[in-house]
Amino acid sequence: MKVTVVSRSGKEVIKGGIDLGDSATVADLQEAIHRRTRKFYPSRQRLTLPIQPGSKERPVVLNFKKSLKDYCDGNLDYLTVVFKDLGSQVSYRTLFFWEYLGPLVLYPIFYYFPVYQYFGYKGERIIHPVQTYALYYWCFHYFKRILETFFVHRFSHATSPLSNVFRNCAYYWSFGSYIAYCVNHPLYTPVSYHQMKIGFGFGLLCQISNFYCHILLRNLRKPDGNGGYQIPRGFLFNIVTCANYTTEIYQLLGFNIATQTVAGYSFLAVATIIMTNWALAKHRRLKKIFDGKDGRPKYPRRWVILPPFL
Amino acid sequence: MAGFLSLLRRIYLSLYNWTVFFGWLQVFYLAVKTLRESGHEQVYNAVERPLQFAQTAALLEIIHGLVGLVRSPISATLPQISSRLYLTWGILWSFPQTQGHVLVTSLVISWSITEIIRYSFFGMKEVLGFAPSWLLWLRYSTFLLLYPTGITSEVGLIYVALPYIKASEKYCIRMPNKWNFSFDYFYMAIVALATYVPGSPHMYIYMLGQRKKALSKSKKE
Repeated sequence: MKVTVVSRSGKEVIKGGIDLGDSATVADLQEAIHRRTRKFYPSRQRLTLPIQPGSKERPVVLNFKKSLKDYCDGNLDYLTVVFKDLGSQVSYRTLFFWEYLGPLVLYPIFYYFPVYQYFGYKGERIIHPVQTYALYYWCFHYFKRILETFFVHRFSHATSPLSNVFRNCAYYWSFGSYIAYCVNHPLYTPVSYHQMKIGFGFGLLCQISNFYCHILLRNLRKPDGNGGYQIPRGFLFNIVTCANYTTEIYQLLGFNIATQTVAGYSFLAVATIIMTNWALAKHRRLKKIFDGKDGRPKYPRRWVILPPFL
Repeated sequence: MAGFLSLLRRIYLSLYNWTVFFGWLQVFYLAVKTLRESGHEQVYNAVERPLQFAQTAALLEIIHGLVGLVRSPISATLPQISSRLYLTWGILWSFPQTQGHVLVTSLVISWSITEIIRYSFFGMKEVLGFAPSWLLWLRYSTFLLLYPTGITSEVGLIYVALPYIKASEKYCIRMPNKWNFSFDYFYMAIVALATYVPGSPHMYIYMLGQRKKALSKSKKE
């Protein structure tokens, strides 16, 4: 069959189109486009079926596993696909590694090295126990995240745009430094011993729960990198769609109860907003996929992210 | 009902735009009059109240954008209004030592001419349904001169205020405190100055683009 590849403005991206066998898959098409254009490796390509101008529907994205035949409406000799360049891509593993490395490395610098003299605070620094525990807790958290990135998570998309690396690293690294600066400050005021114990204890419990949630999510997907979506089940997922985000928010809350800084709480607020947006999208997507029709199970009634609020 | 609400909106926005227009007209008039009669050191004293009124009223524009009364995206108006309020209250009102500086004159004249044109433009659109083409031209052309003069005045005044900010420790929160939070107004001012470096070319280029769009569109009509 002959595939015509056009851009969203209608211009031909590949002159003369591409000829492929009738049983070719979308992956084959992506390979062919890559061979012809050199620059656009498959993870940069977003291929969709053309939509009628003025139509409000979202375009159908071609799945790399499927046959091109599945997207032809009747005529098996010709197919037109719309191409969009997603820009330079990095794997999610790369993205997460660099995001998490910042907090892991920058925080101990404020604890171990005499940085505060450069901010005008000379003299000895007394280190409170809570500051030491906070260091262990924080570093354990980001070390855990890096390990999960490489050994636990199974991603629905293989890659993410390169620009996200800069944006996300700025977010994690700035907040990490800011929190580290405040908690390890020579003039830091600790909370009561009980409050600290409760904070760290609760946080640790949530980190362990969070890890278990990630294991459950991992087992929903097959190891061949298929991605796809399943209804999460078991443990907290029976009552909350995004129990992994819930436990993540609560573990950060635990840290803040123990350390009590405006910096930490503002980080919590921003992170909660971001994760809530993700949770709403995921909840909506799962409800849309699992609508109870055509033999698919119906998505059960659950909290989205933060019972009893949402 | 919809027609009634739309009429109400029009009346409200007309009142708002023309009221603030008169505020800025007052600022301009008093600034020029004082400059000629008493010199630049007295300009701030003469314009203080109408300036504070007209500039602070702009906070309403954020609400207008949020509730959908106007179409402007708040992402564009928010930085503009923030910097104006910062200069008006955070620098000029808070640090009287800056009030006699000649840059205050260039600042209020740049701001007032810009705002007189802008508010009359919107005021006419709400009342008449359209704005005359000469006003459109003014709105999208005077910035070519007034942005540089205004920005230079803003940056200059923040810079002039720096030693007074540092010495007074005003608006600073020091540690230790229960919330382990510290805030230094002096370093914030430095950060504010730094944002002008990428911010000013960005705004200017954005306005150049808007100018091209607006003036070519009116030619076609």
